[in-house]
Amino acid sequence: MKLELQDIRLTFSNSRKGDFHLLQGVNLAVSEGEITAIVGGNGTGKTTLFNIISGFITDYQGKVLIDGKDIRPLPTYKRAQAGIGRLFQGTQLMGNLTLMENMKMASVDTMGEHPISPFIAWKSIRTHEYQKEQRAIDIINKLFGSDSKYLSMLDQKASALSYGEQRLIGIARLLMGESKILLLDEPTSGVNPVYIKTIADIIRKLVEEQHMTVLLIEHNMNFVKSLATNCAYLDNGKIMQYGQTEQVLNDEGVKNSYLGV
Amino acid sequence: MNYFLHIIVLLNIYIILILGANMTVGMAGLLTLCQAAFYGIGAYIGTMLLMQFDLPFIVIALIVSVITGVFSLLISYASLKLKNDYFTLATLGFQMIIFTILYNWVDVTKGPYGISGIPAIKILGLWSLKGVVPYAIFTAVVMCAMVGIFVALKKSPYGRLLRAIRADETAVKALGRNTSAAKTRAFFLSAAFSGIAGLLYASYVRFIDPTSFTLNESLFIICALFIGGVGNAKGSIAGALFVVILPELLRFIGLPDAVAAPLREIIYGLALVVIMFVRPQGMLGEEMSK
Ligand SMILES: Nc1ncnc2c1ncn2[C@@H]1O[C@H](COP(=O)(O)OP(=O)(O)OP(=O)(O)O)[C@@H](O)[C@H]1O
Ligand SMILES: [Mg+2]
Repeated sequence: MKLELQDIRLTFSNSRKGDFHLLQGVNLAVSEGEITAIVGGNGTGKTTLFNIISGFITDYQGKVLIDGKDIRPLPTYKRAQAGIGRLFQGTQLMGNLTLMENMKMASVDTMGEHPISPFIAWKSIRTHEYQKEQRAIDIINKLFGSDSKYLSMLDQKASALSYGEQRLIGIARLLMGESKILLLDEPTSGVNPVYIKTIADIIRKLVEEQHMTVLLIEHNMNFVKSLATNCAYLDNGKIMQYGQTEQVLNDEGVKNSYLGV
Repeated sequence: MNYFLHIIVLLNIYIILILGANMTVGMAGLLTLCQAAFYGIGAYIGTMLLMQFDLPFIVIALIVSVITGVFSLLISYASLKLKNDYFTLATLGFQMIIFTILYNWVDVTKGPYGISGIPAIKILGLWSLKGVVPYAIFTAVVMCAMVGIFVALKKSPYGRLLRAIRADETAVKALGRNTSAAKTRAFFLSAAFSGIAGLLYASYVRFIDPTSFTLNESLFIICALFIGGVGNAKGSIAGALFVVILPELLRFIGLPDAVAAPLREIIYGLALVVIMFVRPQGMLGEEMSK
């Protein structure tokens, strides 16, 4: 699916210092099979842009289009159902759920999640649950190997995992769904170098095999260079530079104002 | 013996009431202050049905739970999209409104005079429950069914969804789940449970008036829930045991009513404070970890 942002604007009205224009006309298009990185300084509005795309912020101006259709009327959960998957900046798994339950919550299969269903369809809940379990095990096998410790920790509370481990499972969890567009907010933060490569491989594979569309926010430039085909530099509420990753990261303006080299 | 069975009936009714509160507080993670209003709606609607129609219990119970549930939707639609604190405030408002209506709409509810001569429940439309023995058995059966429903829901994927929402509602939305709908359903069930408790109470006592359905009663139910423990059926049963048995114990050791009544209140209050310090999850409840 193709994701387009057209002239996205967002203004905070503060009584103290007047209006603050965070986003002042962001235009960006990511086509199917593309990985685009958004880079830019702290507080420039990258996460905010994701919140607009996934529907947490609704008072924006401009348009968010998926395959040419404006998704403004859709609430967050419907945008997710329409295929927008999201990895949040810095958040962890749901700590009071087990690893397996965290994986299952990411499935698009909601069989049994209505209170009436245990009483009229307990048998089919069982089969659906079993299928979700198998799928989760397959994913973990594929990503971390059949000897990974996560397989033996499936019934442990997710809060038992370290921060970085939770980030990794958070990414593995994305594969349970059927998202067509992935919004990844700093996927590598807090993850050790070995796994950064794993994450890059996962994302690359998803794009090649399932033709996903990926928009990611990163401060790790090596990761961006190794993975992103395109790069957008956000500053002063606008995309100031856009193009092939190498080109954007070598731009003098970006070097001076963001990379600090 | 009859006295003992009377306590059993009350216990069963309170277990259902506290389980109902637990659906909202323990499962959906929302604090409700209007369980007594649902209890009252169930009692009054149940009374009217029992007095007007000759219907078997199961039919009346279904109608009562649906109607009470529909009342809960008023609060849900008004507040669930807002933050959880607003939900609690809305339940508080609802509790006050319902009590005022029960108290003042004399034409329908007889107001403070109450309604007496409520007919007994009929099972299968033939067998009318008479006396405390059948009520003790029957309320125990209904109570067990409610415990069964609660446990089944808790273990189901629906229970998991609610737990996930308690941990991180934002993430659950981004995973494509309609979290407001999930919470609305829990609150609906919560109201329905209380409504059924009200129906049982009205037909057992055969007299109702608004003083049984006050804000105080709502607070009492919530206290019992927190003392017993939030999040599972065990805790609700423990809470009901505590609040129903304690007054009887005080009476049993021979304290005059003038002492026993305030002492009881003090013990409930102390129990709540002590529990929050020593065992925030309640006597038998589950840790409500984030
Ligand atoms: N009500 C408000 N008034 C003014 N500014 C606001 C208001 N709410 C948020 N902001 C600003 O909007 C910006 C939002 O930043 P956002 O989280 O999108 O940054 P980011 O680009 O993701 O940064 P980082 O790289 O640090 O994650 C912040 O600078 C914040 O101060
Ligand atoms: Mg950010």
